[in-house]
Amino acid sequence: MRWLGLITAVAVVVLGAVALGPASLSVGDVWRGLVGSAEGPTVTIVRDLRLPRVLLAFLVGGSLSVTGAALQALVRNPLADPYLLGLSGGAGLGAVSAIALSLTSPWAVPIAALVGAVGAILLVYRVAVVTGSVLDTRVLLLGGVVVGAFAASVMGAIMALSPAPEVRNALMWLLGSFGRASWQAVAIFAAYAVIPLALLYTLARPLDLLALGEEPARFLGADVERAKRHLYVTASALTAVAVAFAGIIGFVGLVVPHAVRLTWARLHRSLLPAAFVVGGALVVIADAIARTAFAPLELPVGVVTALIGVPVFVLLVRQWAS
Amino acid sequence: MVDHAGHPVRLDSVPQRIVSLSPSLTEMVFAVGAGERLVGRTKWSAYPPEAQAVPSVGDGLDPNLEMVTAQRPDLVVFYHTSANAPTIARLDQLGIASLSVRLDRLDDVSPAVRLLGRVTGDSARADSLAGAFQRDLDTWRGRAIEHRLAVLLLAWDAPPIVIGGGSFLSELVQLAGGRNVFDDLLQSSATVSIEAIAARAPDIVLLVEESEPAVAGRPEWEAVRAVRERRFVRVHGSEFSWPSLRAGQAVAQLTAALTTEKP
Amino acid sequence: MGELIVRTEAVRFRYPGAATDAVRDLALSVAPGELVGIVGPNGSGKTTLLRLVLGVLRPTSGTVEVAGRAVSHWSRRDLARLVGVVAQREEPMFPLRVDQTVLFGRYPHLGSLGAPRRRDQDAVQNALERCDVANLADRWVDTLSGGEWQRVRIARALAQEPKALVLDEATANLDIRHEMEVFELTARLVRHEGIAAIVVTHHVNLVARYADRIVVMDRGVARASGPPDTVLRKTILEDVFEWPVAVTNWGGVPQYVPLRKDESDREGTAS
Repeated sequence: MRWLGLITAVAVVVLGAVALGPASLSVGDVWRGLVGSAEGPTVTIVRDLRLPRVLLAFLVGGSLSVTGAALQALVRNPLADPYLLGLSGGAGLGAVSAIALSLTSPWAVPIAALVGAVGAILLVYRVAVVTGSVLDTRVLLLGGVVVGAFAASVMGAIMALSPAPEVRNALMWLLGSFGRASWQAVAIFAAYAVIPLALLYTLARPLDLLALGEEPARFLGADVERAKRHLYVTASALTAVAVAFAGIIGFVGLVVPHAVRLTWARLHRSLLPAAFVVGGALVVIADAIARTAFAPLELPVGVVTALIGVPVFVLLVRQWAS
Repeated sequence: MVDHAGHPVRLDSVPQRIVSLSPSLTEMVFAVGAGERLVGRTKWSAYPPEAQAVPSVGDGLDPNLEMVTAQRPDLVVFYHTSANAPTIARLDQLGIASLSVRLDRLDDVSPAVRLLGRVTGDSARADSLAGAFQRDLDTWRGRAIEHRLAVLLLAWDAPPIVIGGGSFLSELVQLAGGRNVFDDLLQSSATVSIEAIAARAPDIVLLVEESEPAVAGRPEWEAVRAVRERRFVRVHGSEFSWPSLRAGQAVAQLTAALTTEKP
Repeated sequence: MGELIVRTEAVRFRYPGAATDAVRDLALSVAPGELVGIVGPNGSGKTTLLRLVLGVLRPTSGTVEVAGRAVSHWSRRDLARLVGVVAQREEPMFPLRVDQTVLFGRYPHLGSLGAPRRRDQDAVQNALERCDVANLADRWVDTLSGGEWQRVRIARALAQEPKALVLDEATANLDIRHEMEVFELTARLVRHEGIAAIVVTHHVNLVARYADRIVVMDRGVARASGPPDTVLRKTILEDVFEWPVAVTNWGGVPQYVPLRKDESDREGTAS
């Protein structure tokens, strides 16, 4: 029943976001656009721009929330978020390098961001695998911070030495945008994300146990080393592809898991799916605001997620503390 | 005498060693006949070709003061923006004169030329250039061309960054018989959504950057008819990079490009 | 004595880079219905021994068997169905309710996806009742007292339906009543349900009252092992703990009293 309410609310948010946009269309226009009976550019705007954009925002937001929830339990740190592990630095470096090298093919920047993120993941992983195959989550945290800082400074050097407003534009993209959304992008993202998301869900119980600490988790039957490796790889893979499609969208992966824990469920079997839909809805709302608040100007969606996420989170924490 | 920043220009005599911290003003220093006395320019000063022979002092924004002072300038010329105020204050302390010149719109060109002429010593030449430019500008404006083509000036593809009404490029398009679909924006450039672009239904896409946005063939851009139909117009050259006395050439090039296109 | 739950033989373990063995030549066997206490000073190898028995560490040489099979051959999941552990420290990242915490004891019995079954709910309820914490089921664990929290953790271990229970200094921070409650509960489980218990503790006197056998660890070896009255001897205790003690008798069970400096001096001159 609770789930039905949540899913209905999310569906309303998604439909509402499709109805909103810088092109002023009435609800009737939007409906005719959706069913394909509208005239002129309306069908194109509703079907080919708004709908895929809303769906991509939902998928990316959901993936980031789930990833944040998993990482918070994995590293046992409530401040963990998907970009903690050096990913944002690696992705930024990739994107800026692509532009500095004048790689202009349509997918050059996202692919370079993906390559940079994966490079950072491998480097951090290499640092954190101390002996044999044992992944030390404390070293993982430190490695993430260090690799991220290093990538950021290389990026700073490239920017200082490049001519171009182009490089600054790349950074604008990194601040988060669903401007690249298309049906093709939605399909690729969904096809790619379904496996890591499913794998994360099968790790829900080990995640519950890992949040207690590695040793208690082991004694309650979790294959801790295997679970940690799988969690790290899936979380990184999801974040890297999210960065490639939408840049860096902060706060969702940090705030949504906590909000869901405080209001919905703490066991990961319900926490993860709830975080997925709530995070998806939050980013859909943020993107709708980004598109419409100052139309035709567009805000970076990461700015909006922080603007919404932080006050909501403060309210929740206050309510919970009292 | 004060400059466009309201800052007094402290010069005892005609400056003999000039550093220009903006490519647009480097061009203008040459135009008013003071190019011989230019001892420093910014890294990316592309015009005129003679500017390449002048030593580079690095970046124009947040310049390296050591590089600048190493040229022992008696005058440093700035593009007028509040971001330069701290640098100018440092130069004041060092006893080096500075000159801030506003150069954002086509109407800024004549006053800028006159100011630079007065400061560098050849007012007569500068006034004559400025006067001629202003007359040309008035003539172009008076031609009252029917604005047939809706033009999207695209600076970047992801996120989509467009040139707004605040840019001189918007003026150039207007003078060439087009209409910038984002001429209501006060900014010179702004990030917008593809939907906003599609809703404004441009006839053509004008690409002005050296490295061109890769919008063709991208599914999300197919919603914009001009992209779907590949109606791109490309213009090249530094006359499209900043307002200058070469605006006439820019308008001519644009007019030629736009008149081959049908609305 | 039936099938042993835990059996170690000639176990030796040395931490990488260490100069000496943390545990050596160790033989330990624990049968169903038996409560074995492990005592010894700090650094004597108690925790290392437990970690070897629980398969967290692999012995450098020797064998460690749980339920008749080398511990390294059990998966963590299968091992968790055999042995429930109440570890020294545990700080939940995101505090849960008591019943959720105890449900974790069912995880070794659950697949990765399925919901808890009727059987699991019953096992949780049963464990809560046996540990006298059923009335706390809806409480958040971070609101529990120290004694309640330990009983909840024992309930969680019981929900695993284990054949053996391991308590690693589980009463370290408890007051007398709560500590006694934990010992009473453990003893009851051992006597009435045939569970084997391994209790590591600094509270030698208490464990002597409940244990069938006591192992005194000293510098990595079992200095003495057997029923309390054969093990808790003045000479052994003074030697191992490096402090003078007197040993008295309480209802047939030896109890030690650590001596004050002046008391031991007097005793020294007397002898």
